[in-house]
Amino acid sequence: MSRGRPPRLLVKTLAITFGTVALLLAAVFIVVWFTVRRQVRDAVTANLAASQRIFAASETRRQRELRAQAAALAESPTLNAALDTYQAEMRTSGGPSERPELIETIEREVQRLAARVESDAIVLVDARQHTLAAAGRLADRWPRGKTVSLIESKDRDHFDGVARMSGGAFRVVTVPLLVDETSIGTLYLATSLDQGYAEELAAVAGTKVAISSESVLLASTLSPLAAKEFEAAVAAGRPADGTIVLDGESHAFRRLVDIGDTTIYALGSIDESARAATRDAVQSLSIIALGAIVLALGASFLLARMVSDPIGRLSGSLASMAASHDTDARLPLTGSSRELDTLTDTFNDLMASVAAAEAQTQAAYMGAIRALATALDARDPYTAGHSDRVAVLSVAIARTLALPADEIEVIRLGALLHDIGKIGVPDDVLRKPGPLTDAEYTCIKTHPVLGARILRSVPFLAPHIPIVELHHERPDGLGYPNGLRGDDIPLAARIVHVADAYDAITSARAYRGARPASEALKELWRCAGTAFHAEIVGALATALPGVNLEGSGTIKVEPVGA
Amino acid sequence: MPTVAATVRPILLTIALVSGPIAAAISTGQAQEPGAIGGHVKLTARVRGARQPSAIYTPRGIPRHDPPAMPEIRNVVVYLKDVAFRGALPITTSEMRQEHETFVPHVLAITRGSTVSFPNGDPIFHNVFSLSRAATFDLGRYPEGHARSEKFPNAGLVKVYCRIHSHMSAAILVLDHPYFATPDDEGTFRLPDVPPGSYTIVGWHERVGERAVRVRVEPGRQTDVELTLPVEDQP
Repeated sequence: MSRGRPPRLLVKTLAITFGTVALLLAAVFIVVWFTVRRQVRDAVTANLAASQRIFAASETRRQRELRAQAAALAESPTLNAALDTYQAEMRTSGGPSERPELIETIEREVQRLAARVESDAIVLVDARQHTLAAAGRLADRWPRGKTVSLIESKDRDHFDGVARMSGGAFRVVTVPLLVDETSIGTLYLATSLDQGYAEELAAVAGTKVAISSESVLLASTLSPLAAKEFEAAVAAGRPADGTIVLDGESHAFRRLVDIGDTTIYALGSIDESARAATRDAVQSLSIIALGAIVLALGASFLLARMVSDPIGRLSGSLASMAASHDTDARLPLTGSSRELDTLTDTFNDLMASVAAAEAQTQAAYMGAIRALATALDARDPYTAGHSDRVAVLSVAIARTLALPADEIEVIRLGALLHDIGKIGVPDDVLRKPGPLTDAEYTCIKTHPVLGARILRSVPFLAPHIPIVELHHERPDGLGYPNGLRGDDIPLAARIVHVADAYDAITSARAYRGARPASEALKELWRCAGTAFHAEIVGALATALPGVNLEGSGTIKVEPVGA
Repeated sequence: MPTVAATVRPILLTIALVSGPIAAAISTGQAQEPGAIGGHVKLTARVRGARQPSAIYTPRGIPRHDPPAMPEIRNVVVYLKDVAFRGALPITTSEMRQEHETFVPHVLAITRGSTVSFPNGDPIFHNVFSLSRAATFDLGRYPEGHARSEKFPNAGLVKVYCRIHSHMSAAILVLDHPYFATPDDEGTFRLPDVPPGSYTIVGWHERVGERAVRVRVEPGRQTDVELTLPVEDQP
């Protein structure tokens, strides 16, 4: 397993926040789901009970209206007279009527009544319960001469009973026809218990409705499959009120009315209602969830930024410090939190101690190297103090040229160490009083490269290497070790080259005495442009009056910045 | 108008049944002293049931049962069935009043050709009409104090109604002989001046039906008969 970089603080915070919110929402959703389902079941059951009351009220009202209409109908003198006369003559003659005009009158009257009543069929039944005449939309279901058996309702507030005729059942309101307070027949105001009735009832009661008679479903507002399943359940044994699974959905059902073997059921789908209710709940919940997630994400984003920004600033400062090797600089306090400020302070303290330790180490290095340079100078009495003087001169030239302070420091140490490579030159060559042979001269010429090699082993002396390596190069390209020309030679190396030559001329040698400064300058001017850079010689001439070379025999130790 | 065949058929039937005695009676003719039929009629059925709760509103108009209705036995008619009467029928004029939204009397027996007058005794309009085979008529509407009459030229049962008040009805039994009577409150009746012979005597009630009994009338004597209604198809 490869381990990549750890995720950002911001990402981590957002992930944790999002996870928490999602978990919370999921829990709420599950709770809501179950609560809604339980409440919906209760609501559906309550709705069925309410629908039963609505049904009762609606049927009572319908019954009352029908009765009111029927009461008016029953007072039809012509119908009463025709029926009574017909029956009286039937009794008297004892046989079938020979009075077709009376039957016609009766039928005409019934037709007239049918036009005034909202009923599927209006039927005149004689005293022997035989149909005599029928009119209305479904009159053909009531053929003349048929015996009608009425299953009477126990609760006559709703309707008087149910009559089963061929291919259906009718809810019936009965109106006796009275002559001299004696019933001579009955008018049936029949409403077919068919699909239309079921749908009307369903609309009033606000539930689904199924009507069964003799284990057959006459009509229902259920889906075809559910109706089939419900019919099977009814056929298997009439279920009491409760719940039943139809077409894969849980339904609550309740008997609205029970007359003989005809039953009207109200049904309500629990699942369907639960779906709607859950959809509503989920919709609200989704909006809340969205809001919660946006808020939480915003808040955690801010929080993460509050933490990570100061850290980012801190690490930015550290990075720039590291880039500039500026161990002295102090990290600024962010002020964002106590913990971070404490961390910053601690870091600053640590850096300060590191810087101090480093300075000590450098001072120790410097001490060692100066000691080496001094020891080198001391090998030849004529060159004693040479490195120190070259350093002083070089610094004076650099100041005259208005170089920046850090470059001047590089030049100072570089000048001090410029002849360190002579440590590898044998004494008899170095101190030979007289002209050198070619071999000896070649040996002498190796000292800049040798010095550079020595300095490379000390990392913080890297800036001085060019000075040591190139302080014998000449503008005309006749210098060594590389034979660089003109501007290819670094400025620091040019300065040290001139200072070195000046000190060599003004110092005594075994084979000659010391020459005065004016003579040295003249000599330098003479070689300006060939051996030396003219502007450096000019700078030396300008700087010389302010240079005090007395006491340069001792070396001043100063810390050198990185 | 009823067809001839319809009128003749029961008579032929009667002749077939009782031709012997009647022939004897007729043959002996007026020579023999007439006898009489007397007796009692008893109603055992409860004719008028309890009021049916049909009307959604209270009955309007005037109270119907004040004064108390006549005893139901007065709505029975006792008469001889299928008698071939020869000679002039007595023509009468009877009255059937409309009082308290009822016809009084409720049942009337008359001879063929007689006239019935229908005076209106209520402070409201009434009407008299019939759809019966024996007489189909409509006397129109008329107010209190007015009376309209109808003559009944055909024998048979005539049911009359009021076109304004559907609950009102009455029955007029038109007979083509004079041998009929209405019992008194105790159910006692008497048919006088019946020629000797065998007869079918009938106790008839409009709704309960009729009870027929064979009787033999001896000259100069009264034959007693007990008639009990109802008959067959009543429980």
